[in-house]
Amino acid sequence: MDILFGSIVSGVLIGMVLALVALGLTIIFGVMDIVNFAHGEFLMIGMYTGLLTAQATGMDPLFCLPVAAAVGFVLGVLCYGGFVKYLLRGPMIAQLLGTFGLMLVLRNLALLFFGSEDRALHHGLLVGKSFDIGMGIILSATKLATAVLSILSFGAVWLLMNRTKIGKALTATALNRQGARYMGIPTERMNMLAWGIGGATVTIAGALIVNFWSVTPYVGLIFTMIAFTVVALGGFGSVPGAFFAGLVVGLIMEIPGFWDFFQLSFAIDWMADVPMISFKYTWIYVAYFVIMLISPRGLFGWKQ
Amino acid sequence: MEAIRNALDFSDFPKTDLGVALAVLVFLFCFPFFPHSAFAMATMIQFFIFSLYGMGWNTIGGYGGQVDLGKAQYVGIGAYTTMVCLLRWDIPFWVSMPIGAGLSICWSFIIGYPLFKLKGHYFAIATIATSLVLKDLFEVWKFVGAARGLGILPYKYHPPDFWRLIFKEDVYYYYIIFAFFIVGLLYMNWFRKSRLGYQLRSIKDNEEVARSLGVNVHWAKIKTYAIATAFVSVVGSFHAVYVKNIEPEDTMSLDISILIALMAMLGGAGSLWGPVIGAGVLIPLKSYLKEWLGAAAGLLGIDLIIYGIIIMIISAFEPRGLWGIIEKIRRRRRI
Repeated sequence: MDILFGSIVSGVLIGMVLALVALGLTIIFGVMDIVNFAHGEFLMIGMYTGLLTAQATGMDPLFCLPVAAAVGFVLGVLCYGGFVKYLLRGPMIAQLLGTFGLMLVLRNLALLFFGSEDRALHHGLLVGKSFDIGMGIILSATKLATAVLSILSFGAVWLLMNRTKIGKALTATALNRQGARYMGIPTERMNMLAWGIGGATVTIAGALIVNFWSVTPYVGLIFTMIAFTVVALGGFGSVPGAFFAGLVVGLIMEIPGFWDFFQLSFAIDWMADVPMISFKYTWIYVAYFVIMLISPRGLFGWKQ
Repeated sequence: MEAIRNALDFSDFPKTDLGVALAVLVFLFCFPFFPHSAFAMATMIQFFIFSLYGMGWNTIGGYGGQVDLGKAQYVGIGAYTTMVCLLRWDIPFWVSMPIGAGLSICWSFIIGYPLFKLKGHYFAIATIATSLVLKDLFEVWKFVGAARGLGILPYKYHPPDFWRLIFKEDVYYYYIIFAFFIVGLLYMNWFRKSRLGYQLRSIKDNEEVARSLGVNVHWAKIKTYAIATAFVSVVGSFHAVYVKNIEPEDTMSLDISILIALMAMLGGAGSLWGPVIGAGVLIPLKSYLKEWLGAAAGLLGIDLIIYGIIIMIISAFEPRGLWGIIEKIRRRRRI
């Protein structure tokens, strides 16, 4: 039972982080119907930014978040203005493959500049600290801080989208581009802003994740897939959807740790000796497939 | 008979196209007679393999407009079936290849039925998801060698072995895949003029209209998906005996799926020559960039950067691919 509680708590914590990872993707999709394959690469750049600024300046990695956010914003705006603007005219397949090309470029630039070895943070205010609050629940300080910041970011984005003029303009662009342009909303600039916000949120997530996850140039793909799953589960373009779907995916990822118990009880002999925990990504895909079949627009989706 | 005549009938293409195609075919046929390096030979075989994958993808993705990014799972099923049959029961290639294709088609029906209820991005990501689930499964399945994969030890057989397709020289593989290539091309030529081909194009243009004209949209998509699957699976079987060592990572990874879609996309999705042109440009580019810049100059990843930039430029500025550029030039000349 203790293991179950522990898995649920760590699932909720990791789920909030994953929700933050997916937030940028869902904003971008909501505003302009494009699925960004390079999303995980943005995250990877955020991770490197957090790590390298922390190492260069000697500051705690948590204080490097503004740097990461600025890098992400600029990166998103540059990607939109220099590349994605032209992709939007093409069919969906061109958009998918074009952002895949962007992913290849970013990933291999990182490989060229940073090398392929694993890098991790060893020093920091929170790194390696954890609280044991009984019932098998161990809260690692980094994950807790990340989860709290994730909630704060979600709150900020929600406020931005619902309580400010810019947010209203973004929503209007998402709902009806042509109509928004007739009302005098600069849709082109709104698209760019969406990419900027999307990039900033995901690099913040990266700078947080680097506190408990080592970084290589190849780290992006798995996060891209998780972000896709979260966004599709929550419904493309829905901000609250992304949050709840993030929690669901986090739980799916962590509970198989508890399932190891089953494998020990019923020795399965067709399987190589690997713990069930290595299936944690598989279950995400299965869950995605099943939920898509039950409700094809996701949990909170309003876009087709 | 009618079908064969249709497959051999290329008369709706302009004469210059056919001339170029014939010249290329003659060149491809004569290629092994010219002096060449082993590396060039391997690149050519890769070119054939990927242009066949691309043709398979082109049926569902190009003519049907359904963005399928999970073709690698069928490469895996085909390759593993051939490999397991050969290693466990000594079943030769020509028997295990149809078995693999059959298994792939069964699997494609099982997942295709629910898959095609989804549309657009949801469909594309769901195909990725199914492919990755299968890959994860193969990585722990002891019967197929788990993550280490399976390998043929060629000295156990007596090359040249035409039943099991185990040879020492690549030139045998070259001509076998060349024959596959010709058959594939003829099949595609028949397919684009078949009833299903027209139905698919109508689905791509407008699904509602297609349905109102009496096309069974769901079933047409599933059938085409099975055809694409058979293509990919057969070539996957060939891939297994050609490289002689397969693991889940290099047969079923997402990169393979996307490379397959890229072949057709870059050359021009929905056209007969598209996948061939795409593979003809991309595969040599990829392997030579890797050889010259990656391995020789010691710059890690620079080949993939250039490769990625090419993909970005093509998809941003000419989403109909190289074939689209050719057609544009032609139209301009005519005016």
